[in-house]
Amino acid sequence: MAAGPHDAGVESLATDQARTEAALQPIPVFDLKFDADDLTAVAETLRSGWLTMGPRTAEFEDAYAAHLGAKHAVAVSSCTSALHLAYLAAGVGPGDEVIVPSFTFVATAAAVRYTGATPVFADILGYENPSLDAADVERKLTERTKAVCLVHFGGYAARVDEIAELCAKHGVRLIEDCAHVPSASLRGKKLGTFGLAGAFSFFSNKVLAVGEGGVVVTDDDEVAEFARSRRSHAMTAGTWQKHTKHSAGYDVEGLGFNYRIDEPRSALLLSRLAKLGRDIERRQELTRRYRDGLRDVAGISIPFRDEDVAESCCYVMALFVDEPELRDPFRRALLDRHAIQTSVFYPSIHHFSAYRDLAGGTSLPRTELASRTEVTLPLFGHMTDEQVDRVVEAIRAEVQT
Amino acid sequence: MSWVVPLADVKVPEEDVQAVLDCIENGWLTMGPRIDRFEKAFAEYVGAPHAAAVSSGTAGLHLALLAAGVGEGDEVIVPGLPFVATAAAVRYAGAEPVLCDVLGVDDFSIDPERAAALIGPQTKGIAVVHAMGYPAAMSQLKALCDEHGLFLLEDVAQAIGATFDDGTQAGTSGLAGVYSLFSKGQLAVGEGGMVVTSDEAIDARVRSLRSHAMTSVTWDRHLGHWNTYDIVDVGFNFRLDEPRAALGLSRLPRLDADIEGRRRVVRSYRERLGDLPGLSLPWPDQAVERSSHFAFPVVVRDRETRDRFRDELAERGIQTTWYPSIGSLAAYADAAGADDLPRSTEVADRHCCLPLSSSFGDEQVALVVDAAREALPAAESHLKV
Repeated sequence: MAAGPHDAGVESLATDQARTEAALQPIPVFDLKFDADDLTAVAETLRSGWLTMGPRTAEFEDAYAAHLGAKHAVAVSSCTSALHLAYLAAGVGPGDEVIVPSFTFVATAAAVRYTGATPVFADILGYENPSLDAADVERKLTERTKAVCLVHFGGYAARVDEIAELCAKHGVRLIEDCAHVPSASLRGKKLGTFGLAGAFSFFSNKVLAVGEGGVVVTDDDEVAEFARSRRSHAMTAGTWQKHTKHSAGYDVEGLGFNYRIDEPRSALLLSRLAKLGRDIERRQELTRRYRDGLRDVAGISIPFRDEDVAESCCYVMALFVDEPELRDPFRRALLDRHAIQTSVFYPSIHHFSAYRDLAGGTSLPRTELASRTEVTLPLFGHMTDEQVDRVVEAIRAEVQT
Repeated sequence: MSWVVPLADVKVPEEDVQAVLDCIENGWLTMGPRIDRFEKAFAEYVGAPHAAAVSSGTAGLHLALLAAGVGEGDEVIVPGLPFVATAAAVRYAGAEPVLCDVLGVDDFSIDPERAAALIGPQTKGIAVVHAMGYPAAMSQLKALCDEHGLFLLEDVAQAIGATFDDGTQAGTSGLAGVYSLFSKGQLAVGEGGMVVTSDEAIDARVRSLRSHAMTSVTWDRHLGHWNTYDIVDVGFNFRLDEPRAALGLSRLPRLDADIEGRRRVVRSYRERLGDLPGLSLPWPDQAVERSSHFAFPVVVRDRETRDRFRDELAERGIQTTWYPSIGSLAAYADAAGADDLPRSTEVADRHCCLPLSSSFGDEQVALVVDAAREALPAAESHLKV
């Protein structure tokens, strides 16, 4: 999952230095623009007066499941909630272990802890694809391993086929953290449909963004039923059902939550989903332009291959600097001299205060290096070619000095 | 099914719509300036120093309990009615809810004397619910908590704007007050909640935990530490977003009028149903003036009458609802106290809530009253044979 609201740099745009030294228009790391029809969809929903989950949520779920070629989609309050429900549906509980990357947003691991289980961190492949290394996952398997959760970093497929095979061989559940991939695929099959369940994010800096929101996607009827029940207090009847038919009452079948989305957000999602393909095409164009511009720049590495762009939704444009100690001065220079905001995806989870003891000195050399060298560049659907060129020129100028 | 009079009727006037559209058009959707303004306005409205917006009342209860230090091995006393979230939140924190009986069909809130009897060595606190919008017996509960060194958490999900005799608002006299912005409530936003407290440490902890316990960005000019964050606890994504804050902020100035509208409907119902044989009205008339009227419950003779009454009303297009006792729910059958909730069970069996909205005029009230006057004798026909 990607950066939360406190992450990198938003405040820094307003620094005096950025204002005075660069009479340039700042380029934010992400930016959202909605169309008139998006606003109309929300306005109509609000005017209807029906705000809690109802027909629009059901319509979005059907549309999103169809979009991915999956059987079920269950809309929830966030990707963190989606991960929590997916882990619970996989039977994860106290005493269990779930293998997760450390090169991801903390939610991937935190949701394991909500269940009472322990996250076990595995390393990434490296700069060429900073997603889970199947070989390291295999090394981390124990008799307590209940599930593996991989993250499709930046919008590109992880080695999900290899890891799915590994999970099947060992009788371990596979969950896909699809926070970065609302619409990406591996050899034509949509990401999020390889394991038991996929957890997606609609957070405001995402490719499909509505503020806060998420969805659990699965082909498994029981997982879908479980997620539907637990997102609304494990109640046997919801408000919409009670509104549309006379019900005798309800029971509560287990420990459920309030992980509901609401109708205005579902309306916005439906409206945006129709335009997702167009947005992603533009992100792919921008990504190709970045790759062409940065290809021969010494001192940096660009992850993934040119041919990977076609199946990616191009959420993150990342680069890795060769010298870790130059990363922060480089980011500062981009901001102060060029008014270009960047971010870092991600600090290693196993180094956070709340995870250090639990990780017990785990060494993940490729994750640790990536956390010290990664720079996330601006990328959003309405970014212009000129803005990309400006970022590329700024990088060239700063790398050479 | 299309109801002649639905249980609730949320109106979103154009000024609210515009506030949300302005926010979305602006493009900044995650917690930002509107959340900040909404929190300040909310704190001012209830008369408390701090308010932290969260994703729901349930999430707010979870965070408030964690902030109160509740954890494994602890017990928290919760009422046997009205909603499961209060007890569920105790379980999220790893602790055990102890279900406490309510006063009865005249007052659905927790019985302080029963609560006193349930206090044991593991008890950390009491969560009181101001049921249906009526403030519970706070002074007795506070004295009890003070005597035993317990915290008192107020679940105000149904009672925003309810007041005590001294004019203070429900939600502001315990360790924290947790409000709901759910679409059926007086301040309906869709999904959302608010945690109000006068304790700075509680507020800080709720704010941290609602967004993954990420430390705020420290503008540290030392290059090595620039622009990074730490994760200092197991936190959650319980954030509200800007469009919902915009909606809440737009609706808040009309909240008092909305509550007054509900009260007007309740007074009218009470006048026109008070003499109906077989039907009784919980809470005395003077309590109506202090309640913020989440719902309008009435009490009939027994469960069968209630079920038939609801069926008869449904046939006349009148939507109703009722709240089960927490002890009767499958997931709480084994909870402490679940088998000793006679009055919660009686309330659950005998009550149902009639439609209530500030938008109702005489016409809706008359439709409901006339339907109830026909429906109740029909529902009671089984008693006469």
